Amino acid sequence: MRAIAKLKNGITTVRAMAHHPMLSYLVAKKKHKKAKFITHLTAKYNGQLVYDLYSTQFLSKNPYIQFAFKGGKKGDKIVFYWIDNTGESKTSSAKIR
Amino acid sequence: MNRRKFIGIGAGVVATALVLPSQLSAVDFRKKDAKAFADKDIKSALKDLYGTDATIKGGVSISAPDIAENGAVVPITVSTDKANVKSIAVFIEGNPEALAAVFNVPATSIPKYALRVKMRKTGHIVVVANVDGKLYTNKKLVKVTIGGCGG
Repeated sequence: MRAIAKLKNGITTVRAMAHHPMLSYLVAKKKHKKAKFITHLTAKYNGQLVYDLYSTQFLSKNPYIQFAFKGGKKGDKIVFYWIDNTGESKTSSAKIR
Repeated sequence: MNRRKFIGIGAGVVATALVLPSQLSAVDFRKKDAKAFADKDIKSALKDLYGTDATIKGGVSISAPDIAENGAVVPITVSTDKANVKSIAVFIEGNPEALAAVFNVPATSIPKYALRVKMRKTGHIVVVANVDGKLYTNKKLVKVTIGGCGG
């Protein structure tokens, strides 16, 4: 998960992109593959959730997201986590600038 | 395989994988409302997700292009200025299943989210915000030149 997190005026804004095929059922069938898409994507700061998305096959490939939350400190980490319908999951982090 | 069963299995897999306490969130929509994700029309999905399809127009906004050249990547931003937003749901008219995404809104989160979605054909993007039990809604018509669901 590539992410840029910037702190300004007490609000941290995050722009991130997950690397994932987000293969819908229709396209998967045509390609004789299994549908594969992220179903849950979260971001945590200091152990608290700051982003909590339940997604479907209808998010674009390599999902791009943008969100903001109150708080944050330069140098602190935001931890991302996603899991998809096949059970694969990934955790990554980014520092707030 | 019947798609509804497939989704049920998918939800089951996600449910077991989400047992880790550190990942438990306020409302696990996929566990609680697996049906909502399978509904084809917005009204049923809304009923399955929030228990009602009674909505109040306004209070929430969508920014999306008037014309989407590529239905596979339609950038949208959904937001609300209301306080005490519990969740925001995004539905796409014309997609095989109506519900595209649901955001749980944690305490410090600012309820404004940008994402990119797939639209199979021209239709409305409908956003519903659950503010303390009241459902606020808005919609935006997006014309799609090339469908993005692989069709």
